[in-house]
Amino acid sequence: MLEIKDLTITYGRNTVIKELNLTVPKGDVLAVIGESGAGKTTLALSLMGLCPGNVEGQIIYQGVDFLSLPEPQRRLLRWNKVSMVFQDLNRSFNPVMTVLEQIMEPMLEHELLSRKEAQKKAYYLLNKVGLAPVKGQMYPHQLSGGEKQRALIAMALTNDPEVLILDEPTAALDGLTKAKICELLKEVFSEKTVVLVTHDLSTAYQLANRVAVLYQGRIMELGLTKDILKNPRHPYTRGLVRSFPTLDATKDLQGIPGFGIEKQEGCVFANICTQRIADCTKIIPKLEKRGEREIACLRGGVVNLLKVEDLTKVYSGVTALKGVSLDIEEGETVAVVGESGSGKTTLALCLMGLEKANQGSIYFQGEKIVKWNKEFYQKVQMIFQNPQDCISHRLNVLETVCEPLVIQKLGTPEERIHKAKKALRDVELPDEDEFLNRYAHHLSGGELQRLAIARALVLEPKLLIADEPTSALDASIQAKIMRLIMDLQEKRGLSILFITHDLALARKVSDRVFVLKDGQVVERGLSTQIFSLPQHPYTRKLLQATANFSDF
Amino acid sequence: MHINYVRGFKENRLGRLGIIFLALILSIAFLAPVLTAYSPRQVSENILQPPSQKHWLGTNDLGQDIWSRVIFGARTSFITALSVGILTVTLAVFIGCSAALLRGIYERFVLRLIDIFLIIPNILLLLLTAAYLRPGPVTMVIVLSIFNWPGCARIIRAQTLTLQEKSHIKAAKTFGAGTFYILVKHIIPDLGPILASSFIAHARRAVFMEAGLAFLGISDPLLISWGTIINRALQYSYLNNWYWLLPPALGLSLTVMAFSFLGYTLEEILNPRLKVGKNAGD
Repeated sequence: MLEIKDLTITYGRNTVIKELNLTVPKGDVLAVIGESGAGKTTLALSLMGLCPGNVEGQIIYQGVDFLSLPEPQRRLLRWNKVSMVFQDLNRSFNPVMTVLEQIMEPMLEHELLSRKEAQKKAYYLLNKVGLAPVKGQMYPHQLSGGEKQRALIAMALTNDPEVLILDEPTAALDGLTKAKICELLKEVFSEKTVVLVTHDLSTAYQLANRVAVLYQGRIMELGLTKDILKNPRHPYTRGLVRSFPTLDATKDLQGIPGFGIEKQEGCVFANICTQRIADCTKIIPKLEKRGEREIACLRGGVVNLLKVEDLTKVYSGVTALKGVSLDIEEGETVAVVGESGSGKTTLALCLMGLEKANQGSIYFQGEKIVKWNKEFYQKVQMIFQNPQDCISHRLNVLETVCEPLVIQKLGTPEERIHKAKKALRDVELPDEDEFLNRYAHHLSGGELQRLAIARALVLEPKLLIADEPTSALDASIQAKIMRLIMDLQEKRGLSILFITHDLALARKVSDRVFVLKDGQVVERGLSTQIFSLPQHPYTRKLLQATANFSDF
Repeated sequence: MHINYVRGFKENRLGRLGIIFLALILSIAFLAPVLTAYSPRQVSENILQPPSQKHWLGTNDLGQDIWSRVIFGARTSFITALSVGILTVTLAVFIGCSAALLRGIYERFVLRLIDIFLIIPNILLLLLTAAYLRPGPVTMVIVLSIFNWPGCARIIRAQTLTLQEKSHIKAAKTFGAGTFYILVKHIIPDLGPILASSFIAHARRAVFMEAGLAFLGISDPLLISWGTIINRALQYSYLNNWYWLLPPALGLSLTVMAFSFLGYTLEEILNPRLKVGKNAGD
């Protein structure tokens, strides 16, 4: 049992770990994940009492506060009760000692065993970590990376410690070696209390039963590994998971926007968080229980942006939508797929208030929408299916992009022009006067679509409803535009309701998918699942008809 | 679709002709006081004179200079045409757009009202009303406009309904635009071509109607109008006074033709399929 209470670690003026509280029960494997610089290694070293910084707080092993002990007593605990696998493979060995000698060293140092017994145990350990006895006679430089890692693990196991701390045990290894080491670690971990520090989410997923997400010395999210990595609820964790490439992830890589400011009040993630509110920069969020997990976020993690319940729309006898329910979270892309006539566009029009639904309710940021007013439209914008139609032929580029600002009465004319130019640059259109004075019929299809997107984004909405935004474009321009929209999602936390008939495209951009057929949602779920294991026959049919270059 | 009107008119023969006619009559009307030495109302003893150096088109039964009366008549014609055109189109836009935007009972009421106006023979009603009211120039414009708006309003309502379904107007709604903004910034400008052709059609009609009513002696007898001149001339037709009868008739024809040509041209510009020997979209 390992307990960390109010741990604060500073290097000079720099606070690396901030009031950290963690409990690791016996037999638990806790992975501490985060970007480099999050304080992972500092945390791991402090657990060994090896951290060079100024350490405050308590680290309690079996009721004893390790930090309050004097150094000689700490040494007694070290390697007997707590041992560590260090991060840097090459620098963790003494180059002039054989591997066997190094494995024996802790036993001899603590005078637990005689030299002979120690040697016997060392050979046993070598065998246990899968190294041939002959490797024991070798010097560290004669071993490969994977073998070194095994040797290090053997070293950590010598005195049979109860608590094991591993700092990036798989960082420098290739995939196959990594898999073997993971197998080994799984065996080694039995009955031990383990803290696994890693930036490799897949290692954490395989080895740990719980995960703590560390960012700038604070825990952002804590909970069961499967829950957190498959369904991250903190915006930071979500960014981390989105940037990690896995085979089953279908959406393209996304990251975390910008860098956090180190010294700031309130939440450490606030200045780059896309769903921050005013309080976020003032109040430090506490790790609070939300269902199975704990989240440190004033907003309770990723917030729900739009919720649709039981939406039904009948056009003179034809039912276009039959009890459609869906929800969109902040910073999420939800794809609505289906063939033409399945009610996709009707859904978009109903959400935008351009068509009145016969039944059902729509909630935006928790509030039921009764009247579609200017405030609603400031936060929700739509990209229409056909850019040629949705831009008036009487307005030039500048007037087109400024129109939403004019209608919303936002800013002075100069500010509007400034914002419009920025929106144009965001979509990679020129902002020179010559271009600003052009009319819609002077622009190419791709430019028009980008202009329509710039116009929808100039109000900086939270939700973008994109109705087949690229169906009229060729693939290369489509790719550019989709990249652009996803970049904006990363930067601004834009939520996107992406309506499309192109499943191949939906697979690349969406987090979740809703399959619509004859106005009904026949299948819903994470994109990773739907595209690999479609359940409904209609989804399978759609997938079969999707573009591919395979010969089977 | 973006339309270049200037180029359209330049390239069209009838269009050029229409503009030339219109410019000719307009400049005559505008420069009337310079083009004659006589006041059109000046009565003199020299009655029923044939054309001479002094009176280019002779004088009428009251000794008034006919040339002066003809060129001042152009003014009446034009002012009536413009006023009726503007008033009719304004009424039609107001009623047609409001019907399309507000829908409901109001729209049905407007549509039935339009039907009623279109069913009852216009001329008859106009004659009766004019005969009853004995209209001055202002009343004349109002009366003509009241009988003209229904057809135009019907077209405008239909077009407004179509325009409302256009994506760019829906897009404006999704920026939070109200009905008034959409009407003023999107629908009315988009109605431009229809408004222009309606205006021309109704102006042309007004020229004709005004002259017709004046000819029948229903309008203000003191008004200098081509209709009154023709009426007078006909009473003295036994004098073989072509110089008296022909010029106002010619002015009338020229004006009506000018407006007609402009109307045709506009139609051709707006509907490329009407272009002779050219493919649509050229």
